Amino acid sequence: MTLDTTILAETPEGIGIQLRPAGAVPRALAYAMDWFIRFITFSVAAAVLGGVKGMGVGIMLIIYFGLEWVYPMVFELLPGAATPGKRVLGLQVMMDTGLPVTPSAAVARNLLRVADFMPLAYAFGLIAMLLRSDFKRLGDIVAGTLVVHAEQVRLAGKLPEAEPLAPRVPLTRAQQVAILRLAGRARRLTTERVDELAALAEDVLPPPDYAPGGASPAPIRPGPRLLAVAQWLMGQH
Amino acid sequence: MTPRQFEARYEACWIELERGLDALDKGRRAGKARKLKAGEFPTGATPVAGGAHVAQLYRQCCEHLALARERAYPVHLVARLETLAARAHQRIYRRHDFGLAALRDLVLYRAPAAVRALRWHLLVVALVFVLPIVVVGVATWVDPHFVLTMVDARQVRMFDGMYGQEAGEHLGRTSGDDWQMFGFYIMHNVGISFQCFAAGLMLGIGSLVMVGYNGLIFGAIAGFLVTRGDGERFFSFVCTHGAFELTAIVLSGAAGLKLGHAVLAPGRLTRTQALMQAARETSPVVACFFVFLIIAAAIEAFWSSAGWIAPGVKYGMAACCWTLVFAYLGLQGRGHEPARAR
Repeated sequence: MTLDTTILAETPEGIGIQLRPAGAVPRALAYAMDWFIRFITFSVAAAVLGGVKGMGVGIMLIIYFGLEWVYPMVFELLPGAATPGKRVLGLQVMMDTGLPVTPSAAVARNLLRVADFMPLAYAFGLIAMLLRSDFKRLGDIVAGTLVVHAEQVRLAGKLPEAEPLAPRVPLTRAQQVAILRLAGRARRLTTERVDELAALAEDVLPPPDYAPGGASPAPIRPGPRLLAVAQWLMGQH
Repeated sequence: MTPRQFEARYEACWIELERGLDALDKGRRAGKARKLKAGEFPTGATPVAGGAHVAQLYRQCCEHLALARERAYPVHLVARLETLAARAHQRIYRRHDFGLAALRDLVLYRAPAAVRALRWHLLVVALVFVLPIVVVGVATWVDPHFVLTMVDARQVRMFDGMYGQEAGEHLGRTSGDDWQMFGFYIMHNVGISFQCFAAGLMLGIGSLVMVGYNGLIFGAIAGFLVTRGDGERFFSFVCTHGAFELTAIVLSGAAGLKLGHAVLAPGRLTRTQALMQAARETSPVVACFFVFLIIAAAIEAFWSSAGWIAPGVKYGMAACCWTLVFAYLGLQGRGHEPARAR
């Protein structure tokens, strides 16, 4: 079991693409921002059209309707697949298969906003989101869509440079993976923390006084030794 | 093969795919693709991969990703391939047209076919709509005071002002001109229908309640105005746009009921799957009643309210509209039914 909230969407090519569903808080913030944008737009329209009697009021009402119903659908079908509020928060709407959202799904998820709103203040939508691990509201469940963080979080980067060193004993696959993972995250951690974590692998790391050319003058800390083993695992050019 | 060797051997392919995707994103026309020589790296001068070649590179990339995961290569390497594959996947499987052909298909075949597929739900909703109209209408006709059990006195007075003796030359409104009312009708009616549809998610009860409630009010007002002797004014107002508006209300209710039905009796699917299927099946119906409501709003604002048009003309027009609506929903696209399994 993992603690991550990522879900894996399988493609026809047989590989899994990781999606990171967005939870209730960023989505509520995006909604608030969209609400604000719509409010400003309508206020401006009202100020401009307010002077014109009759037709002005009619157009204002049509604009109101458009902002309420059409605004999210249109923005979610444009490239980027997100309303301005979602764009600001780095969210994106897509099908739960990882494909771009289809027009009928965009229409369905936005019409069913009404069901999510019931009985008041998006209570049903919120309950649905809290109960599910993929944070879908009712409209998302029906339309088969997903609101995801557009950018993936990358905790691991390239391995720090080091002179390759062979481990003391042959490593199992799980050990190799653990060492490569820690080495990938070494740049994000303090050297003390890397040493501390690397000390856990002391049994397999080369001895502290071992260096490629023979015995080293001063004992080497566990961190650099682990990075050296990671480089060894990466192999030669 | 160590991660380094793996990267050295295939990186050219990944870079080429990246450049091809960049070019597609920018909408630049791809140059003539050619296969890279072994060991050659793509540079600025190398022609950018075109669509077909990008698809091919994408499949190779998927293969590399699967290998990298299986061999537990370092995270940064797998992550790079993942990002690349996800990006290419989005790009390759996106829609390729602006949906004009799909729109034509929708109007000519899919919308009426989807409506006909809902015939039993339509029947139920139509009954739930029409029965209250008849019962309450007759009750109000027998005893005009009955209207006050449905609608409060202020609203009755408002309707009296809209369709009564002193209604003046604009029917069906107390103030405002045609354009204002057009905007109001669109916002109000479409909002109601969307709610009626979405309320179906509550086991279908929401849709039935909303449709039935609208029927009750409609029946009460109609009955009341007929006893007051304003029947002709009222019916000549309602009849034309009613062809679209009343049909749209019943359609939205039926589509909502279908959703509720899917939740209640999912058959051999899970409830969620049944709901998704119901949503797919009813989406043409939603498009259909949306357009109907826009048409209804236009007619209601500019034609129905015109007091100077003789009721006879309006009735004639109404007959045409009702025939048109029923012919479209009942007959259009018959014989073009899309294959069941899709």
